[in-house]
Parts: sequence; structure tokens; C-alpha cells
Amino acid sequence: MANVILDNLVKHYGKTPVLHGIDLEVSDGEFVVLVGPSGCGKSTTLRMIAGLEDITSGQVSIGDRVVNNLEPKDRNIAMVFQNYAIYPHMTVRKNIGFGLRTSKKSKAEKLQRINEVAAMLDMTELLDRKPGQLSGGQRQRVAIGRAMVRDPDVFLFDEPLSNLDAQLRTQMRLEIKKLHQRVGRTIIFVTHDQVEAMTMADRIVIMKDGHIQQIGSPFEVFHKPANQFVARFIGAPPMNMLEGRYQQGKLHLQDDIVLDLGGRVFSAAAASKLAEHPQVVIGMRPDDLRVTSEPGHFKGEVALIEPLGSETLVYANVGAKELIAKAPGRVPPTAGDQVSLAIESELIHLFDTRDGVLIE
Amino acid sequence: MRFYRSLTIAQKQIVWAWIFLAVPTVFYIWIRFYPTANAFVLSFQHWNLLSDREWAGLDNYVRLWNDPVFWVVFKNTFIYLALGTPISLALSFVVAYHLDKVRFMHGFIRALYFLPFMTSAVAMAWVWRWFYQPVPIGLINNALSSIGIPQIAFLNSTTNALPAVLAPAIWAGLGFQIIIFMAGLRAIPQTYYEAARIDGVSAWTTLTEITLPLLKPTIVFLVVFSSIGFLRIFDQVFNMTTNDPGGPLNSTKPLVLLIYDTAFNGFNMGYAAAQTVVLFVVLLVVSLLQLYIMRDRDRVS
Repeated sequence: MANVILDNLVKHYGKTPVLHGIDLEVSDGEFVVLVGPSGCGKSTTLRMIAGLEDITSGQVSIGDRVVNNLEPKDRNIAMVFQNYAIYPHMTVRKNIGFGLRTSKKSKAEKLQRINEVAAMLDMTELLDRKPGQLSGGQRQRVAIGRAMVRDPDVFLFDEPLSNLDAQLRTQMRLEIKKLHQRVGRTIIFVTHDQVEAMTMADRIVIMKDGHIQQIGSPFEVFHKPANQFVARFIGAPPMNMLEGRYQQGKLHLQDDIVLDLGGRVFSAAAASKLAEHPQVVIGMRPDDLRVTSEPGHFKGEVALIEPLGSETLVYANVGAKELIAKAPGRVPPTAGDQVSLAIESELIHLFDTRDGVLIE
Repeated sequence: MRFYRSLTIAQKQIVWAWIFLAVPTVFYIWIRFYPTANAFVLSFQHWNLLSDREWAGLDNYVRLWNDPVFWVVFKNTFIYLALGTPISLALSFVVAYHLDKVRFMHGFIRALYFLPFMTSAVAMAWVWRWFYQPVPIGLINNALSSIGIPQIAFLNSTTNALPAVLAPAIWAGLGFQIIIFMAGLRAIPQTYYEAARIDGVSAWTTLTEITLPLLKPTIVFLVVFSSIGFLRIFDQVFNMTTNDPGGPLNSTKPLVLLIYDTAFNGFNMGYAAAQTVVLFVVLLVVSLLQLYIMRDRDRVS
């Protein structure tokens, strides 16, 4: 049982800084996903927790024990790699058992443990096969099995699903989540895919350029994004962003469009910020921006539509801007139609134009 | 032209394929297959280059079987193989394994190891010959005598001469094998080693259970390649024992040198051809045997 605490973790490659002080507390049994675009430092963070990368400064503790100078094997962790790292010349049984080589268990106990893990992952009949005879999803399960066999305190996953096709990815996502519920160990999972992050995580850590942008539950990061970056990174298609000007409870946009904020009350700090710098970026999720037959807030021409079955994405030209909105799946507009778009005033997000931080 | 136009695309492709293949085909038949076939025929004949070729039946092979020199040479050839291949592979693997981890002046050190491979075997053999000379000329014996160790007869001793000739041959091939080994080592994904580090297995286990098995294709290639090289050893021996090629008392003589001797000193072409056929069979059997022993059992059809 172990929590993981990162305290002001910094990493430099030579003179190039890649992590600028990461603070994170992962509690015991929690499923935390590190997500961000490539080069944001998420994998580096994970590899520092694993002990595969040196720590420039700061501290990593696992289970209330500082592990900065411990070898990976002494940290009681297991890691699943993007390319699985299962050995092609060994059978599945040997691959899974590889993690038990240094354990002091008897041979019979080791075999017993391998069989247990194989049963848990539904791989018993594959134990004598070589990785070359397995499908991508099965290989992934072998890699997970090898991680499980030692019963580590913490599981580290480094983009384990990105080599799988879309359908298999969805399936493995569920399997890993079920596994977490059953085994109850701490999991730190790295991905660049926000859907994976949203669907699997207890808490999501969004990173960019070596900084943490936001830590929060999937609900929080989606509905209360800390800044513009998070707002656009989480959710697909990305949030619509328009520039505007705040004035007495109303937003003034280009082309004399005015949005009423419905008497929204801001914190004292936000209110003074708005008074001092009324320029804002207005964020609207495509899910919240509805195509309506009533007079809405925006009028535009449909440039193209993307039918998704249950609903339809509508790309509409509003003035010089393109907005993405949602229409019902059954009676969608067609390209060239004039449509009006509406949004509930409480669903509008405001960001500071200077630093992109959410104003609330 | 009408004939060509009436062909289907597939047939046209075949025509073009044969037009392009014609040049190498003619070349191979003329330069490779014809002489090879001729050598096989010649091994059943008597010929001294000037006379007519006369059929000799199995005479040459019978003579070879009863020739004590042939058996000495046959043994020497296998000693070159049995010592040369394992020693050179072990040495080059150890160097490559460690060089792979060296960052400091990596390219320069690698170039130094590769240098002997680019050097002419003749020049190299003569330099090593100088190393082996007795006091006061030879480098090694001078060094030994300066610390009070008695001289060693390298090239003049029937027991020492073969290893003394083999040493530069191994050294010369080392650079090539190191490069190939390093390429093989580089091709092994780093995550295998990282996974092993997390599992906490020892460096020895990592080497024997991960590195060496994954390096198997490289090892197979180098075993076969270097075996063929040592079975065909000639220039080092010839240049280091020019006074009496293959000497002293045939103790360093390999099969190729015997063939050369029979053909161009004895002008006994039929007999030399028979020896060549034996060499060919030896090379074929050894290579096939190695490939069979080291075949990939993992692959399923």
C-alpha cells in the first residue's frame, strides 16, 4: 500500500529544463492519469518515479519513503511500457515470471503466482506461446501480467494503449479500469489521449511544457478548466474561443453580438481583474452551443457538418470566425443553411486574455 | 514490334526482366559457374597446364586420401576454425559490449578498432612478422628479454607458429565483427533493459537472458561469416612464412595454401582441383551445420 508524493520535482537534460517543479500527491489506491501533448514532460515524470531517470532536484516519495537514490527494483513498483517490452524469445509463462526471478519464493509458489495472474487476465491457455504468436491486445495483457506478478505497491503505465487499434484500445481501457477496481493498487498512467484520461482517471493531471496546468477529477477539468490550455485540450472537438469585452454583466463581441451572463457573480479578485482589464476570451463547448430554431446568440452559415449518429457536429461561419456546435442527429441542418446558435449563460467560460487563466 | 505489342502486360514484364537479367546471368555463368563446373571436372583429370587433359577417374581423390600432408593440412584448417571463430567472436563481443556504453571519444575509439580491417593483409602480416622476430629485432622478444623472460620462438616453432599466425588474422577481423555486434546491440530496444532494471534482475542475467538471445541473428551471421573466413585463411599464412610457405614442416599450412602450392608450384592442376572440391564440401557442410544448429526454433510457420 503506498501513496506517491512528488515534491518540487525538477529535471534538466544538460542545460535544457524539461520539468519546472512538479508537485503532486497521489493517495494510496488512486488512479491518476498524467496527460498532455508530446514534450510536456509527462513520461519524464513517470520515469523519474520509476527510477529510470535521474532527479535533478526535488523529491520523490513512495509509501512515505524518499526513493530518490533507490534503484528501480527497490521502489516496489512495476511499469508497463508503450512497446510492451516483453521478450520475444521467451514464452508468456517465462515473460510473466521474469519479474519473480529475484523473489525468494519457492519454485512452486512462483508457478502458482504466475497461474493466478494468468487466470486473472484470462490468459491461461496462452502461457506456453511466444509473443510472436499473440495479437497486440494479448501482448499488452502479458505486459500487464508481468507487472502484476510481483504485486507491487504502484503500477506505472507509459502510454500502454497507443500501439493498439481504436476498438482494442477501448476494450483495454475498460480492462485496466476493472483491474484497478479489483487489485486496488495505486496507478499512475501516462497518455496523450484526453479520452483515455477522462474515462479512466480518478484524478487527471494536465501538463504542458514541464508545468502542471491543472489537477482535478475528470468532472472538474471538463467543467471548470483552470485555463485556456486545459479548456482546449480536454474535450473533443475543442472548445470554441472568441475574444470579447466584459461590461456590466454583459459580454460584447464583434459584430455587435452581446451575451448576457445572467447576473453571474464573480469573486472579488475576478471582479477587480475584469474592472482593470475587461478584455476576455469567451469559451463555449460545442456540446453547450446548440443549433436552435429560436433567435439565438449567433447567426451563421453552416460550412460543413459531421454526423456522429446520435448527434451532428455543425461547423458554422459566424462573421470571420468558425464555431462548432451540436445539432440533434435526426434532423441536422445541411451545408449552406442559415442557422442560429444559442448557449445557456452559465455554460460560458471566461478567460483572461493576458495569461489565459479562468475568471470565476 | 507487332509481336511485342501483342503480348500481355505480364508477358511484357517478363521480357523486360530477362533483358535486364541477361547481363548478370551471362556474367555469372561465364565467370562463376563455368569455372566452378570446370574445376569439378578437372578434379577427375590429370593436367599440368601444357599437356592435354586426361581422364584420371578417382585417382586424384585416392591420392589425396593417402597423402599424409593433406591430413596435416586438413587438421590445421580446422584448428584455425576451431580457435579463430570462438576467440574472435568472444573478443569482439566483449569490446562491442563495452564500447557501446562508452560515450567519451566513441567515434574515435571505434575507428581505431576498425582500422586493421581496412589495412592490407600483406602489410599487416609483415609488421606482425617483425613483432615475432628473435632478439634484437623482434618487438615482443625484445620486450620479454628486457624483463628477463627467455625468448619465445614464434614462427620457428612447429607448436607456436600456428597460433602466432592466427593472432593477426583474428585481430584483423575484429574491427568488422565489432561494428556488426554494435549494430546488433543498438537494435535491441532500450525498454527491454529498463523493464529488466525495474524487475531488478542482475547484470549477468540481463546479459545471458536478454542481450545474447536477442543478439542471436547477429551471432549466427558472424559465426558463419567468420568460419568461412578462417577456413579460407591464406594471406596471413603465406606472408608470415614466405621462406617456406605453410612451414615450418607444414605446421601452419591451411588447405588454400596447399591448393596454391599444388597448382602453381607443382603444376598438378587435377590434384589441386580435387583439393578445391574438398574445400568446397567442407565449407558447405560447416556452414549448413552451423545454420542448422543455430536455426530459429521460435519461428512458427
